Amino acid sequence: MGQVLINGLYSGVQYALIALGLTLIFSLMNVMNFAHGQLYVLGGFVTYYVYGVLGLPFVVALLAAGITLAVVGLLFDILFFRKVLARSARDESTMLLATGTALLLDSLFIIFFGEKHRGVPTVISGVMRISNNIFLPYSRVLIIIISVAVIVFFILFMKYTRCGRGLRAMAQDREAAKLMGVNVDRYSMFGWALAAMLAGLAGAMLVSVSGVNSGLGTWLSIKAFIMVMIGGAGVISGAIIGGLMLGILESFGSSFLPGNQYLAIFIALIIFLAIRPRGLLGRQ
Amino acid sequence: MNRKQKILLLIVALAFYLVLLPYLCRDRNYLLGVITTASVLSVISAGVWLIFYIGRINIGQGAFALIGGYTGAIAISKLGLSFWFGLVMAGIVSMLVGIIIGLPLLRLKGVYFSMITLSLTETARLTAQSLVPITNGPNGILNLPLPGELSFFGITLIPDFAKVNKHIAMFYLSAFLLIASYAVLYRIINSRVGWLFRSLQQNEDLASSFGVDVPRLRVIAFAICTFYAGIGGAFFVAMQQSIYPATFSVQDSTYFLLYCFLGGLGYVFGPLIGTFVLYIGFEMLQGLNEYQPLIYALLMIGMMLWLPNGMLSLRLPFLAGKKSPLGGAK
Amino acid sequence: MAIMEIHNLSKRFGGLAAVNDVSFEVKEGEILSVIGPNGAGKSTLFKLISSFLPASAGKVLFQGEDITSQKPHIVARKGVVRTFQETTIFREMTVTDNVVVAHHLHSHTSLLGFFFGTRTARQDEKEFRERAGDILDFLGLGAVKNEVAKNLPHGHLRALGVAMGMAANPKILLLDEPFAGMNAQETDEALGMVRGIRERGVTVLLVEHDMSAVMKISDRIVVLNFGKMIAEGDPEAIRSNEDVIEAYLGREDEEIGI
Repeated sequence: MGQVLINGLYSGVQYALIALGLTLIFSLMNVMNFAHGQLYVLGGFVTYYVYGVLGLPFVVALLAAGITLAVVGLLFDILFFRKVLARSARDESTMLLATGTALLLDSLFIIFFGEKHRGVPTVISGVMRISNNIFLPYSRVLIIIISVAVIVFFILFMKYTRCGRGLRAMAQDREAAKLMGVNVDRYSMFGWALAAMLAGLAGAMLVSVSGVNSGLGTWLSIKAFIMVMIGGAGVISGAIIGGLMLGILESFGSSFLPGNQYLAIFIALIIFLAIRPRGLLGRQ
Repeated sequence: MNRKQKILLLIVALAFYLVLLPYLCRDRNYLLGVITTASVLSVISAGVWLIFYIGRINIGQGAFALIGGYTGAIAISKLGLSFWFGLVMAGIVSMLVGIIIGLPLLRLKGVYFSMITLSLTETARLTAQSLVPITNGPNGILNLPLPGELSFFGITLIPDFAKVNKHIAMFYLSAFLLIASYAVLYRIINSRVGWLFRSLQQNEDLASSFGVDVPRLRVIAFAICTFYAGIGGAFFVAMQQSIYPATFSVQDSTYFLLYCFLGGLGYVFGPLIGTFVLYIGFEMLQGLNEYQPLIYALLMIGMMLWLPNGMLSLRLPFLAGKKSPLGGAK
Repeated sequence: MAIMEIHNLSKRFGGLAAVNDVSFEVKEGEILSVIGPNGAGKSTLFKLISSFLPASAGKVLFQGEDITSQKPHIVARKGVVRTFQETTIFREMTVTDNVVVAHHLHSHTSLLGFFFGTRTARQDEKEFRERAGDILDFLGLGAVKNEVAKNLPHGHLRALGVAMGMAANPKILLLDEPFAGMNAQETDEALGMVRGIRERGVTVLLVEHDMSAVMKISDRIVVLNFGKMIAEGDPEAIRSNEDVIEAYLGREDEEIGI
């Protein structure tokens, strides 16, 4: 039981990172980024090359993944989303665009990275013994520490820096923020970069434990959607709670209903959404 | 176009599709198969289009096609029923699942609905994989027999597909499904039901203010959509004579969006044109198969950036004089 | 006789009471206005009465029947019909089509009937079109009936909203700020329109910010401030009511207009 909970927590903190990015973009631009899982996979590939193939230290790989993805996020905004948003604010335009970018990244992954599953040497070996029958490999301890640190850093950033306040103002009311002198275009760009970077960091950590392959993106996007639907789209605390909850549900599911955990989670989600269509913390 | 021209165009198109195409392809089974597949995919796309029409984006059509496909396959291989019965059952089962899931989920707006439908496709695949006793899991259901004879009081309505040219038979069956489904769709959109659907697309609150039962209409649209998916899925499986959990994937669900979008969301025949142009056009470019997702992705992004109202919105001379994109039919 | 009774109606958002224990009656055939400064809870009250928001507490009775927190389309079927502000119309449809669609409650035909184009369906369609023409003429929109709605000027959009409400055959029509943003002449026309609606036997409940228009047209007025009802009475009584003057003076002077 304790082991199941610990495993869930381990997945949950990583998931929270992904959900944070997704929810950030949604709250800033009302865009649901259907390619978010693909960004995460890209972070995994960058780490695979920098850390696994080139043999540079893991920290370097982590940074490289974060920076690469920030740039990709920036490009997404400049090349695609800004143009479509300028013409139409309808959900469907951006959603279809995002679906297109997801397909684009997926197909590029297949072309450049092939279908093979890639793993890297573990960053730290050894296992931490929490109690008699609860174990946690140090590589996972590391990930939990990094993830929590990034989440805390993100929250502090949003709360206390000028830039973070600008982003929050924009998330609350784009027009009002504009009137108050927030450079909406620049902040959108920054929001994209930040969100993609979070996904990239999460991807970098993923590869260090479970490896990465080209086909993971869609599935991760779906997981991220489940998290924001649980927590409520556009709310930071909702993303964190959603991430942790999904991690724990998944972990319990796979030990009690192996093979069917997602069917169970999904049915539960439908019932949950019938009662709370905006999630736990979303604006009802 | 006036009424006369429309009818003329329809007759020419039907003659081309029903007579000339099969004649030209009589020795090219592969090509005929491609056209047959495009026909059935356009039936499935028609459902997605209808959901666009009421203002929602359904990225879960693959799930319902998969449900239909498995229903048909199981009816034939495990229950020993005839293909024809299985086909109808596939439509109905898929529709029932659509209604049950749709009742709570269609309340969700915009991105929420799309997120959950996308998850649905993946869930359907996982379910097919794990329900081994019914679906054979990842191994799929193979070696399905061809559709058998359909007779009525001893009179053969449709011959056993194994005894005639099966490619031609499949083609005509798909043509029948296509014509029937688009005729129904056309009639819906051009009757008052279509006006009500358009009123949902444009403003659900306003529609309910003058007494429209919005949730009921949404479920009706979704029922039609998932019925089309079920029928299409079962036919596709009969054509392939096999089904796997990955027969319809998230990628397929996305392609259906693209087909609708390419043809144009404001036109009844948009999904039909979109599917045919894209699917057949693609099969012509042999050797690019590996790059299909890439090309589709670029096309989709390009469309969003430069041609947001679809191909039919290009004012080609022979299509001139059409209504505004939301005015309904071609 | 009261056509509608509102008993202790409240709506809370989080801890904040947007509408707080409001009670009043609407008499059959009258024009009743709900006014109040910005943020007084007018539009929340409006949505509660038309069932576009569920109430936290209290009741709305229509012809003695409890309609609180029902689905909007059910309430509309009973004869309680709301209009929206100008931007809420079917922008891509023509003016006539907007009103034809809004005739939903008159159909004698099921959806299947419409699908197959049965005789009653065709009769319905014909009748809707005729009635739509009547309503549009009555509201002065006859000249623009074939325009696409999004191309109409503001005044016409407002009238179109009312036309759609009328198409639903209301017993009581709820108007959402029918005079907002209008100049003196437009307001006069709109006042005529509202009187015309009443002459057709429809009770009118309107929510409005513009005091001068309200004073001219209302039989009775209900005043809200901070979600509470602070006054009720005919225009004369409201004009001289201390609480009302204070409520409005407490805000911006220009808004009074008395």
